[in-house]
Amino acid sequence: MADKPGDLIQGTLDMLILKTLALEPMHGYGISVRLEQMSKGVFRLNAGSLFVAFQRMQRAGLIKSEWKATENSRRAKYYALTDRGRKRLNSETREWGRQVAAITRILEA
Amino acid sequence: MSLLRNIASGLRSLFRNEQVSQELEEELNGFLEIAAEEKMKHGMSHHDAIRQVRLEQGSVDMTKEVVRSAGWESFVETCWQDVRFATRMLGKSPGFTAVAVLTLALGIGANTAIFSVVNALVLRPLPVERPKDLAFLENAHYGPSQSFPNYKDLRDRNQTFAGLIGYRMAPVELETDRGALRIWGYLATGNYFDILGVRPALGRCFNQNDDLRVGASPYAVLSYSAWQSRFGSDPAVVGKTIRLNRVPYSVIGVAPPGFHGTEVFYWPDVWVPMMMEPRIESNSWLDSRNTWNTWIIGRLKPNVSLSLAEADLNVVAAEMARQYPDINDGLQFKLAKPGLIGNMIGRPAKAFAFGVLMLAALVLLVACTNLAGMLAARAADRQREVAIRLAIGAGRGRVVRQVLTETLILSLLGGAAGYLLASYLSEALSRWRAPLDFPVQFSVNPDWRVFLFALAGAILAGMLFGSAPAWRASRTDPNTALRGASATWGPGRLAFRDLLVVVQVALCFVLVSASFLSLRGLQQALKMNLGFQPEHVATAAFELNLAGYSEERGRAFQQQALQTIQQLPGVQSASYSNSVPLSIDQSHTGVFPDKPDLRPSDRIGVTFYQVSPEFFATIGTKLLAGREFNWHDDANSRQVAIVNLAFAKRVLYTDNAVGKRFRSGITGPFAEVVGLVEDGKYGSLTESQQPAVFWSILQAYNSATTLEVKSSLPATQMIGEVRQAIARLDPQLPLYGVGSLTQMLGFAFFPTRAAAIALSAFGILAIMLAVTGIHSLLAYAVSRRTQEIGIRMAVGARPVQVLRLVLGRAAALLVLGSLVGLTLALAVGKVISSIVYQTQPRDPFVMITAWIAIALLGLFASWAPARRAMRVDPLVALRHD
Repeated sequence: MADKPGDLIQGTLDMLILKTLALEPMHGYGISVRLEQMSKGVFRLNAGSLFVAFQRMQRAGLIKSEWKATENSRRAKYYALTDRGRKRLNSETREWGRQVAAITRILEA
Repeated sequence: MSLLRNIASGLRSLFRNEQVSQELEEELNGFLEIAAEEKMKHGMSHHDAIRQVRLEQGSVDMTKEVVRSAGWESFVETCWQDVRFATRMLGKSPGFTAVAVLTLALGIGANTAIFSVVNALVLRPLPVERPKDLAFLENAHYGPSQSFPNYKDLRDRNQTFAGLIGYRMAPVELETDRGALRIWGYLATGNYFDILGVRPALGRCFNQNDDLRVGASPYAVLSYSAWQSRFGSDPAVVGKTIRLNRVPYSVIGVAPPGFHGTEVFYWPDVWVPMMMEPRIESNSWLDSRNTWNTWIIGRLKPNVSLSLAEADLNVVAAEMARQYPDINDGLQFKLAKPGLIGNMIGRPAKAFAFGVLMLAALVLLVACTNLAGMLAARAADRQREVAIRLAIGAGRGRVVRQVLTETLILSLLGGAAGYLLASYLSEALSRWRAPLDFPVQFSVNPDWRVFLFALAGAILAGMLFGSAPAWRASRTDPNTALRGASATWGPGRLAFRDLLVVVQVALCFVLVSASFLSLRGLQQALKMNLGFQPEHVATAAFELNLAGYSEERGRAFQQQALQTIQQLPGVQSASYSNSVPLSIDQSHTGVFPDKPDLRPSDRIGVTFYQVSPEFFATIGTKLLAGREFNWHDDANSRQVAIVNLAFAKRVLYTDNAVGKRFRSGITGPFAEVVGLVEDGKYGSLTESQQPAVFWSILQAYNSATTLEVKSSLPATQMIGEVRQAIARLDPQLPLYGVGSLTQMLGFAFFPTRAAAIALSAFGILAIMLAVTGIHSLLAYAVSRRTQEIGIRMAVGARPVQVLRLVLGRAAALLVLGSLVGLTLALAVGKVISSIVYQTQPRDPFVMITAWIAIALLGLFASWAPARRAMRVDPLVALRHD
């Protein structure tokens, strides 16, 4: 797949962030930790690509942000899904499933 | 939606840069702290944790930069940076900037000015509704005019036009408080305004119902400019009565501003229904099928092509030819773009305009080579700067963008200055009134097309002269460049600049030879034998029918006026005629040779004049044989004629014309030739020898006559005397065409003169540009080689050898450039001879003169650099840098 571990397939980062935020609003670090945990350490994102993605998705209207206090009463920007983001997540998940199934069929043939 | 949000967010970070950046920084710092806290849970110290996170994630500033450069606004931002940087750099070398902008302004200005003329003449659509559907109908063999009965047949029988309008330019006399004033108008058929789709500014325009019976509709529509200038913008002008040619007309409306009929150069004062023609002009031709006085413009029905319409018209023409074979035999029509009286003026005007535009483009090209040279020099000087930028990590794309931004700013500044220059020039041209008895005017005011042209010219120029330095900059090798500037002084660089000199010299040669050619053409046109001597001849014209004279009283008045003027002091001879050669007003007729079984095809078209006794003596035409008319050649004697040599050869088949006879119509009476005169120019300077016949004006009365007065006094002084003498006879009679014969020829010489002025201006521009260009290239080469020259001198080179070093190369380039230029000049000679009369594109005299001029300017341009090279002090030079 990717050349080195931790590199994402192009275009999938947005989907993963959407998925992470589907449960609850989170701040940037939370998202990166959650992604790392859920992928069992396969995806390690640096802050640069993460924040570029936030900016891009926010401009596309998929997520929205709000300054809130963390559990340690620190100020952080929390990102949450918009309706549009939720729809996008659904459609992308379906599409992803279709493609993975197809690729698997080809690889196992 | 998301696009909007994207733009809004981008704009926010552009304009509230500080706030957005702070917010991002805060967020990233928070990210860092939270990450560190996590690490501290595993027992790290705060300091170690922060350090660890930084190592893993990169610095906050780095991340900020990455995030910022991901949005589109960062592109705008870097562009803005480039612009600021470029402006600063240009500001730092104001001399360079000023020269570059000025060079461009001249090049783009010249082009834009010429383009606005082309635009006004050819490109700009007529100010009417759907101008694309209009077509000017012209006779395939005889030019633009048709007879009015033929017009009516065409109008009623065609299948492809929504309507055909017939119209004619006509001078009329308007009575004002200060006496009669000669103004120009249009006679137009009733459907004129409806077909053109013109709505009045005030009142109404006349329509079909106002143009039914001859003389029944004395209505006038004023042009907007006439309403302003002659009626003081009187809002109550509609309903008032004005007197045109002593007949009352009621003003029914004012045409909208900007509408001046269908000819781009003609600005009439008034429109009158066609059925008033007999009241406006003294002879009625509305029912004469053989008087070709009407111009026709048609509006095509939807989805009808020009060729279909032409075919349709020619079907009608064939019918008309069967019906009236003696007049319409061989009748055929073709369609042309309206605006310039079909192809009569349209074709030469277009050829002229595009030819001049082509030469103007060459001027711009010279300006571009100039700038390319200057920029190449500047780029070489700035190599260190570029190298440093590359070394500290600027991308090559960024470096190219930076250089292009700079040239683009230069070219836009130059374009703006050029546009201003062109607007000024074209405004002057729009205000200019030709010294003619005719409302010639060109509305060359720049519009959006001209603006786009200037903008495109500027950008194209910027690309042209900027791409080479940009490409060069991108290939800079920081390693060599930083080790020492002179290290990159390679042969390739030299070749590029050498090429620029060659191109510049070649283009300059073309332009200089073009301007020499045009000046020589003008000189030859002025020296050309016109068949008469215009010097010291004053002219004045009057029209007696319109002034209420009967034919009998008119004859008496004409002779009385002539006698009075002949008695003025200083007058050598005087005469009168219906017109003079090379004025706007020329008349043509058909004659037949004296032979049995004449057929319509034996008709020979000739120019004709009606002249009084002493006409040839007055205008200085040589009488080759026979006699001038005398006062007995009147209505009571047999029909006599004086002919020119070309007439004698074509119609009489002999040079020995006196005593021979010919017919003025197929069954018409014979005319006997009593005199033979030399050939001359009648319609234009370029025409081949035309046959011409001169009738005695005593045998055929004409109420419109021009007086010619030859005197020992300057014509300007004589004019005043003539004016007073006529005023003593009839103080009410308006005079027109008052001036000298030389002035009147202004019309004939106008195209040649305009071309000579335009091309000389181009030549001078090209010389200026080439001199500065060659000078700056050589000066730069010398300054770069100062060190080398110093070494040569230190090891014993004499000044002459140094001079040879500098000039040798320049001379070689100059010779090469001139050779290329000569080839080009011969190739474009055809274009030049299409815009300047009397030129031989291969005139060796002109080519040699151009060559000498180029050599001199090359010498002139290299003088200062060569001197500087010879004065190089080896001691100073070797200490250099």
